[in-house]
Amino acid sequence: MEFTLSKEQLLIQKMASDFCEKSLAPLAEQIDRDNQIPAEIIAGLGELDLFGLPFKEEYGGAEAGYDCYVLAMEQLGKVSSGPAITISVNCLGLGAIDKFGTPEQKAKYMPKACRGEHLASFAFTEPGTGSDPKQITTRAVKEGDHYVINGTKRFISNADYLGPMVVFATDDESGKPTAFIVEKFCAGYSISEPWHKIGYRGGNLLDVYFKDVKVPAENVLGKVGGGFPVLTYGIAFGKVGISSVALGGILAAFEAAAKYAKEKTHRGEPIAKFQAIQLRIADLAMKYEACRWLTYRLGCLANDAKDPMLFAKEAALTKTFVCDNYVEAARIAVDVHGSYGLMNDYLVTRLYRDAILGPQVEGVADMQKMIVAGVVLNS
Amino acid sequence: MNIVVAMKQIPDLQQIRMRNRQPSLDGVPYALGLIDKNALEAGLQLKEQSGGKVILVSVGNEEVEETMKEALAAGADEAYLVLDDDLADLESSQTAVALAELIKKIDDVGVVIFGEGSGDNYSGQVGPRVAEILGLPQVGCASHIEVNGATARVTRSLENADEILEAELPMVVTVLGDINEPRIPSVTQILKAGKKPKQIFAGSDLEIGLAGRAVSTISNLAPENARKRVAVGSVDELISVLRAEGFVGR
Amino acid sequence: MAAILVYSDHEKLAPELLTAARLLAGGKGTGIKAVAINNAALAQDLAGRGAETCLINDAAILAADTAAVASALCQAAEKLDAAIVLLSSDRRGKELAGRLAQKLGAGSLADVSGLKAEDGKVQCTRNTLGGATVAVQQIETDKAVIALAARSFEAAPQQAGGKVSELAVAATAPSVRLIETRSKASEAVDLQAAEVLVIVGQGVGKEDFPVAEKIAKILGGEIACSKPVATDKKWLPEDRIIGLSGKKCKPQLALIFGVSGQVQFTVGIRDASTVVAVNNDENAFMLQMADYAMVADAKEVLEELNRALG
Repeated sequence: MEFTLSKEQLLIQKMASDFCEKSLAPLAEQIDRDNQIPAEIIAGLGELDLFGLPFKEEYGGAEAGYDCYVLAMEQLGKVSSGPAITISVNCLGLGAIDKFGTPEQKAKYMPKACRGEHLASFAFTEPGTGSDPKQITTRAVKEGDHYVINGTKRFISNADYLGPMVVFATDDESGKPTAFIVEKFCAGYSISEPWHKIGYRGGNLLDVYFKDVKVPAENVLGKVGGGFPVLTYGIAFGKVGISSVALGGILAAFEAAAKYAKEKTHRGEPIAKFQAIQLRIADLAMKYEACRWLTYRLGCLANDAKDPMLFAKEAALTKTFVCDNYVEAARIAVDVHGSYGLMNDYLVTRLYRDAILGPQVEGVADMQKMIVAGVVLNS
Repeated sequence: MNIVVAMKQIPDLQQIRMRNRQPSLDGVPYALGLIDKNALEAGLQLKEQSGGKVILVSVGNEEVEETMKEALAAGADEAYLVLDDDLADLESSQTAVALAELIKKIDDVGVVIFGEGSGDNYSGQVGPRVAEILGLPQVGCASHIEVNGATARVTRSLENADEILEAELPMVVTVLGDINEPRIPSVTQILKAGKKPKQIFAGSDLEIGLAGRAVSTISNLAPENARKRVAVGSVDELISVLRAEGFVGR
Repeated sequence: MAAILVYSDHEKLAPELLTAARLLAGGKGTGIKAVAINNAALAQDLAGRGAETCLINDAAILAADTAAVASALCQAAEKLDAAIVLLSSDRRGKELAGRLAQKLGAGSLADVSGLKAEDGKVQCTRNTLGGATVAVQQIETDKAVIALAARSFEAAPQQAGGKVSELAVAATAPSVRLIETRSKASEAVDLQAAEVLVIVGQGVGKEDFPVAEKIAKILGGEIACSKPVATDKKWLPEDRIIGLSGKKCKPQLALIFGVSGQVQFTVGIRDASTVVAVNNDENAFMLQMADYAMVADAKEVLEELNRALG
């Protein structure tokens, strides 16, 4: 058991933090305010190979492994959650194509999205569907050599960028959910305005409308009627990204609180001199270390996830623990700031808005605990 | 034409702790000096301008091979290294001899680039010494380099003036920290850095032996802090201090 | 005993070298020779300060051609039987030091702030580890080339006994061509000559600079800054940087606002007579390096100070 990073891991971590310091940090407030990521940031992240970090070089990835992915995403998440979550969703969509796709599908859809020229999406949720695949209403009807898809998907990331979207629809042959690769902005594809969400701003969620969208039969991802394993696999791997982004947020909250505690004075003394503040700083340090090693471990597990159910459990518990702790860490950081922590002039308000989102997205916390309990009690 | 960039591994200065005024280097990781990254970036830009390879040269202990991965990731094509734990702590005149020997092994050298002074020692002696050993023209404190065929135009930025100079290649240039903004390597570049070609030599492979140290260190201590460290509570107090010290109301 | 040779093309620094040479010689009869190249006025000035001065007049030796100057000085050192060469540690001098030392087979050091002779060797005081430490380093070779930091020694006073004589050296083929010299546009501030420095760091904003400048003027000094203020933020020109890669100054008073105080900075004001630091982080290292330390918002203190003094 070694808790040290290799030279390559250190360099990738440093590369991400250098990019953040130089290019992303100056725009972080703007991204949060405008709910939009400037094109030069997407291009910059692409040049550094951050969109396809874990995937094979053959398909345009950097083949760095999920361990390095976690390290880079933590740095991005620390500075600006919107671009980080955009990458996370891209890798979620690409991860599904990488795992279940044919060589032709991978060659067609992965390289551009690995470079950030296209961005992948993953569309399961619908207005009337929670996490239950049986409830989806989007339908795919086979007509000759293609399928015709009709339906609406809700809260879909990256839906406003060109690129592949993994769409779940019930097909009329199997009557079960099937995954399709749809090219965004094809005929019949339309999107709503972005939702005005509380946090992770810039990483937009939109509704997507499919009106008689024609998808060639070769764009079925995996087997017809085999949408369920694609869904569980994709969602599990998506949690590697969201855990890392939340971990970065915890680090930001920790650092912001410690800095403020040393600078803010009360009766002529920095508030760091007071025990009430010291205990909070200690709590933040503990939360960060616990979440950090849990997330790094998940990255290592993702490199070699042989049993999908076991991996799903590890991903669920990591995501839930880290996102819950981010909420608490952001709250503590706000407390350390006192009344100033309520003012948007301070970073902690943004962290607080970001944090509160975590337990709700990519599988609500209660649902994750069910996954964990299911695996624990059935083994 | 190949471009040679000389780089030095230095302890991460932010992580050096003082114990009883003695610097403790235990467990302090090595890093590339910031100015060495500027030297490398200058080399990479010249390569983009006029082709050839960027070859880095460095001398030091076995750790140098790991440390130089960062430079290979940032775009250097090859490394010529003298790795020898006995050569971990050379002083300028010895480093210059070793680097010059390495550079002699490289074909078709156009420009040899150094940082203007190393990040830890900042004496700036090695570059000019290498130029003298190799009998090459030199321009120090460069803020701009431009290669035109067999000559280069280099701007030397002095305290009060810029000098634009031209010299025949090959030549030695030392660069200032503000000559450029070093690029950030991509993930792929980082992962491939370890696989780039390396020529590794032991100290005994060098054709001429190193002379003894021309400079030795007698003592090296954190300066004694003789400051009074009087706390000042208000601006009024500050002004009376300045008055008492004779800086206000003279 | 072999002589000490001093050379700088900088009119203000060359007389400082003379003082250093005299301290090193210690009145033991060691000869001191000053050299000037293509600069009769400087040669006269040094002679006026009591130095035996050799003037090399040869238009082929360009000051910008480090190899040519090194060659001329190497010949001069041999002809004058000099074992120790003192240079100025400005950019030109540092660059020259390495080349000349290599020619002479000498050990060399630059940015040296103190000198002493010890058992026939020269010991030099200088900063290392990015300014975190002050080292005493001894040059072990028979010959030594030492570049001295500006203002480490007082300029030698006027005194009798000096004279100028011409010295001929063999010119070497020029190694570089000087295409153009451009004076730097900035008002060429001499921070090292300022008695008072008002130094601003990242803890203050650009909007506070006029106030800081005004305070500097009231106190009869100059405004200066830490490195990031000039190189990253570009709020002040780079010739205002204090620290390892900027200027090392010895003002009577350094008033420092919003600088955290990493050694790369503090090395630049370590020799100030009085240091006043204002910082809102009580743990800022700068406050420990100050004679008078104030934990407060630097911006507010600047404003208040301006109102009180102005």
